[in-house]
Amino acid sequence: MSSLLARAARTGIRSPLSSRLHQPMAAIRFQSTEAKAAATTEEYDVVIVGGGIAGSALACALASNKASSTLKIALIEAFDLSNHIKWSPRPDQYSNRVSSLTPKSVAFLKKIGVWSELDESRVAACEGMQVWDGVSGARITFDAANVDGVQSSFLHQVFSGNVPNPSGVNNTTQETLGNSKEASPLAWMTENLHVQYGLQKQLVGHQARGVKLDVFEKTKVQGITTEQGEAAQLPQGDWPSVRLDNGKTLVTRLLVGADGVNSPVRSFAKIESLGWDYSQFGLVATLQIDPSTSTAPGQGKGIAWQRFLPTGPVAMLPLNNGYASLVWSTTPQIAQDLKKLPARDFCALVNAAFSASPAELEYLYKSIGPDGQPLIDFQKEIEWRTSVHDQEASQTMVRGNSFQGEAKPPRVVDVQENTRAPFPLRMRNSSSYVEDRVVLVGDAAHTVHPLAGQGLNQGLADVECLARVVETSLLSGSDIGNIHSLTPYSSERFLPNLAMLGTVDKLSKLYNTDFGPVVWARSLGLTAVDKMGPIKNEIMRFAMGLEESPNRP
Amino acid sequence: MSARIFTRTNPSALKQCLARTGTNSTLARSTRAATAAPCASLFTFRSPLEAPTGKLYEGHIPISPLQRTILAVGSAFTALANPLRGDMVAALGETTSGIFLNRIRDQMLQDPEGRRILRERPVITSETMQLDTLRQLPDGTFGREYVRFLDDQQVSPDTREPVHFVDSEELAYVMQRYRETHDFYHTLTGLPVTVDGEIALKWFEMAQTGLPMTMLSSFFGPLRLSSEERKRLFNVYVPWALENGSTSKLLMNVRWEEWMEKPVEEVQRELGVRPCPQV
Repeated sequence: MSSLLARAARTGIRSPLSSRLHQPMAAIRFQSTEAKAAATTEEYDVVIVGGGIAGSALACALASNKASSTLKIALIEAFDLSNHIKWSPRPDQYSNRVSSLTPKSVAFLKKIGVWSELDESRVAACEGMQVWDGVSGARITFDAANVDGVQSSFLHQVFSGNVPNPSGVNNTTQETLGNSKEASPLAWMTENLHVQYGLQKQLVGHQARGVKLDVFEKTKVQGITTEQGEAAQLPQGDWPSVRLDNGKTLVTRLLVGADGVNSPVRSFAKIESLGWDYSQFGLVATLQIDPSTSTAPGQGKGIAWQRFLPTGPVAMLPLNNGYASLVWSTTPQIAQDLKKLPARDFCALVNAAFSASPAELEYLYKSIGPDGQPLIDFQKEIEWRTSVHDQEASQTMVRGNSFQGEAKPPRVVDVQENTRAPFPLRMRNSSSYVEDRVVLVGDAAHTVHPLAGQGLNQGLADVECLARVVETSLLSGSDIGNIHSLTPYSSERFLPNLAMLGTVDKLSKLYNTDFGPVVWARSLGLTAVDKMGPIKNEIMRFAMGLEESPNRP
Repeated sequence: MSARIFTRTNPSALKQCLARTGTNSTLARSTRAATAAPCASLFTFRSPLEAPTGKLYEGHIPISPLQRTILAVGSAFTALANPLRGDMVAALGETTSGIFLNRIRDQMLQDPEGRRILRERPVITSETMQLDTLRQLPDGTFGREYVRFLDDQQVSPDTREPVHFVDSEELAYVMQRYRETHDFYHTLTGLPVTVDGEIALKWFEMAQTGLPMTMLSSFFGPLRLSSEERKRLFNVYVPWALENGSTSKLLMNVRWEEWMEKPVEEVQRELGVRPCPQV
């Protein structure tokens, strides 16, 4: 009998009988372990590994929700989270990690009460976007004023299935956008640290009003295990237990991996991560721009600039107070060289990256010595090429019409010290986002090329969805950690994330060449799309996160 | 048979030719006003009847894409029928040179010498070259052999056809420089000024720049050769051209003016070119 039961337990079959029969054994086990482990083992409903934006936002979302605020939640972070609350930046300093938050993400942050914690003067609205091909000059212009209100549309049906009556977050989105005629910005730019500040403020607030939320900061996860054999048949037997380096062990109903690209939670759940590394590095930096050359259409509202070079896209995102954030995707070698270059030459090179031809840039890259010092006078060389271009543009008649209309990116005058940082670019998608009692969100689930600025937004969309799925299971009385309760999360997020990953990956590959026929075809396509208002509108709405309507149960 | 034909001409023939293809057409101008507004920014589809630029440099003749097509086809046929029409050969080169010149300019921008040439824009005329001084140089120097070549062919650097149809000031200079330095190539390689010699030079340039444009003359030029010339071309010159063209320094990046006093052998060694086998 007992061997039969053991087999049943191993194969995952459970009957009320078996658990009843084993009740005494459970008691024995607890008695025997209590002496040495009871003080250090704690049970939780949700343990979130990783206190980054995705992890903290999930903790916040669960705590702010009426149904899930009764859960016992733990948030584990290896670094010091309390630093974020003390964050008090100077107005003339910006962190180099800046994200663009889509209207959908902002609606979510508003919903969980984080947005109101943020300092408005450090959030820059992005009203327009200029994207162009560095090889051919073909250009597409996005303008917030051209985006229609929230309604079902073509791309939405392709990527999300037709949902007739979106509610929940999309209602909030509508409120955010204001049903008024006034157009919403395309995105909001702000520092990741700033979002973290808002999140931690909220978390402290939730703790103060009695939500059972434990934050383990400066704490590392040493190992994650599940009970094996006999013990697995206990009521909490199949729950993952997370061993921390402070001696504690957390046993949890639901384990959330928000622990980044190399997610230990994902390895524990034996979920494969598929994808590849781009042979590119992204270089971020905080730039100071010449305000007189800035073409911001309104007060504090900027334009995001992105130029596709054969080595990768270079983007300048607007910040306030005459600052901008740079994300320059390029070869690993050039990224390292750019980091070492003296500030003056670096700025000259950034300006050239937005105007000079790829051949001219190539020469400049080659002219950086092994010690990071330029071998030639960058400014002189760039000025000469600019004067040649300007002279030709000024005499070009018919093309002149379009050239005059083409806004130029602002001129970079300085780069903030110690903000230049390169990081490798990758594409990854987990083969699955859920396993029994384990769920992945954010970078742990998927990693994307930064060219569309979608990584963080995808992560927040994951979090929004997961919080909603957990709430639904609670309301229906099901076990939140059970794989069947988690499946709606996976089915809702997997396809949109994959679609975004694929789109961004194809874009990056399409533009990673200067092969003539490809350049011609992509320029023709880009110019055509630029002229086709409705299609452009759809693309914008897709990028703004207005297309995805969650499939609600 | 002279290879000067490739670029040396009288300009009046050109003007006639242009008049025939309808340069300065009032049609083009009147259409511009009507179509510019919707089409201007859509440069991929700009009207074929309007010239894309104004006059950019001395000698520039702005023409519309339609005129360009007619001129290219017309000059191709004329040049094939009568290779002595240097104006037609030049017009053919210019009207079909868009990508070619761009790539050459890019290759020049990659090289410090090439950049210096683009920046300083040296011009080669009998005046700037000081041919009389070059004649005083000892035998075997590059300058002396260059003048000897000019004298043998009874030409001077001043008889080059100016550039007319390239719609960019800098690219027009590149085209001009390309023509002006042509005689140095003969001195450097020792290729004779015959049709097969010129075609061999085209093969050399093709191997060097990797550009398909030079292929045109490499492939179609031999149609006009006698079988003996063709045999010499493909057995001797082409193998030499492919080998040397792919290993030597890009000749557009050479400031020839500064190499005049060096012995020819040293110039050949420094540029990585072996002299062409003499037949």
